[in-house]
Amino acid sequence: MFAGAPVHAASQGTLGATSTGSVTINASVPNRIQLTGLTDVNFTNQDPSVAAANSQNVCVWSNTSTKGYYVTATGSGAASAFTLANGAATVPYAVEWAGSSGQASGTALTTATALHGLTSAATNPTCAAGPTSSASLIVRISAVNLQAMQAATTYTGTLTLVVAPE
Amino acid sequence: MVATNSGASTALHNQLSGQALAPSRWSGGLVRHPMVRLLALSFLALGAPATAASNKVRITSLSDLNFGALANLAADAVQSESLCLFADTNTNGYNITATGTGPGGAFQLSSGASAMAYEVQWSSSAGQNSGSALAPNVPLSGQVSTATQQACSNGPASSASLIVVLRAATLSSASAGTYSGVLTLLVGPE
Repeated sequence: MFAGAPVHAASQGTLGATSTGSVTINASVPNRIQLTGLTDVNFTNQDPSVAAANSQNVCVWSNTSTKGYYVTATGSGAASAFTLANGAATVPYAVEWAGSSGQASGTALTTATALHGLTSAATNPTCAAGPTSSASLIVRISAVNLQAMQAATTYTGTLTLVVAPE
Repeated sequence: MVATNSGASTALHNQLSGQALAPSRWSGGLVRHPMVRLLALSFLALGAPATAASNKVRITSLSDLNFGALANLAADAVQSESLCLFADTNTNGYNITATGTGPGGAFQLSSGASAMAYEVQWSSSAGQNSGSALAPNVPLSGQVSTATQQACSNGPASSASLIVVLRAATLSSASAGTYSGVLTLLVGPE
């Protein structure tokens, strides 16, 4: 019997017109979390005079008793910085996170620094049932940074998000 | 002769209704009925047993089922055990009814306010990892035991399998926690 299981031994039946026995069934489910519903972010032909923003709804499911989780983001720049690159040329971007879907702004994330205290409304690991999304990811490039980018040049980068239950 | 008639009549009655009657009733008006006498004599002519069938059953060798900490929630988790099911009937036949501790006897484990459904299967032979699905409070009939001793201390050491399944679909969406529940098995002769 594993830790935390109730103490109850199986009972055996006696010989008779009917006979009854019973068993206790124990199982332990560990903390689990899942992040799905992510899509690539594309800023195309951005007007350098206007800040660019992209928000998307994602699904975060946590099976803890509070449905709590934290999220940590890292970029593909130097020291995991949130930067896009074209060769040696780089441009920074900003990342925000909201613990509910449909948001155009959220809490700013710092690379490799966890944002705690989030709660998921998802009831299914992939939001296949219940709410179809449970959080918002927002990516921004300021006008200043857009103006530093070379025209007709593609900058790319990878943003990695790690969620963990709490 | 009177004692022999009484035994044969009791056996006859068990086959007709499955209920016992007091011997005084048989030695009274019923046994005097011509049809009863005719049927009783027919049983005697066919070599009917001199004593009534006992129709007794027993379930033993049950053990708790511990799934432990389930690391892989994407796969079905199965626990099975062999146990002793003894049926002292003409055919060694029996039926089994399972009841869980969920609402209405549902097969459900609980962890505080959280619940997790499980499935129960039964096989009338030992060492099985799958069997006939049981529904809560619904007897599974037509089972036959190979046990020759009420606690399987002689003959086969076990005669049936109890299988409990936690489906991946249930596990993957279950809240974290330690779940527990009691499964009660009621056996009846047939």
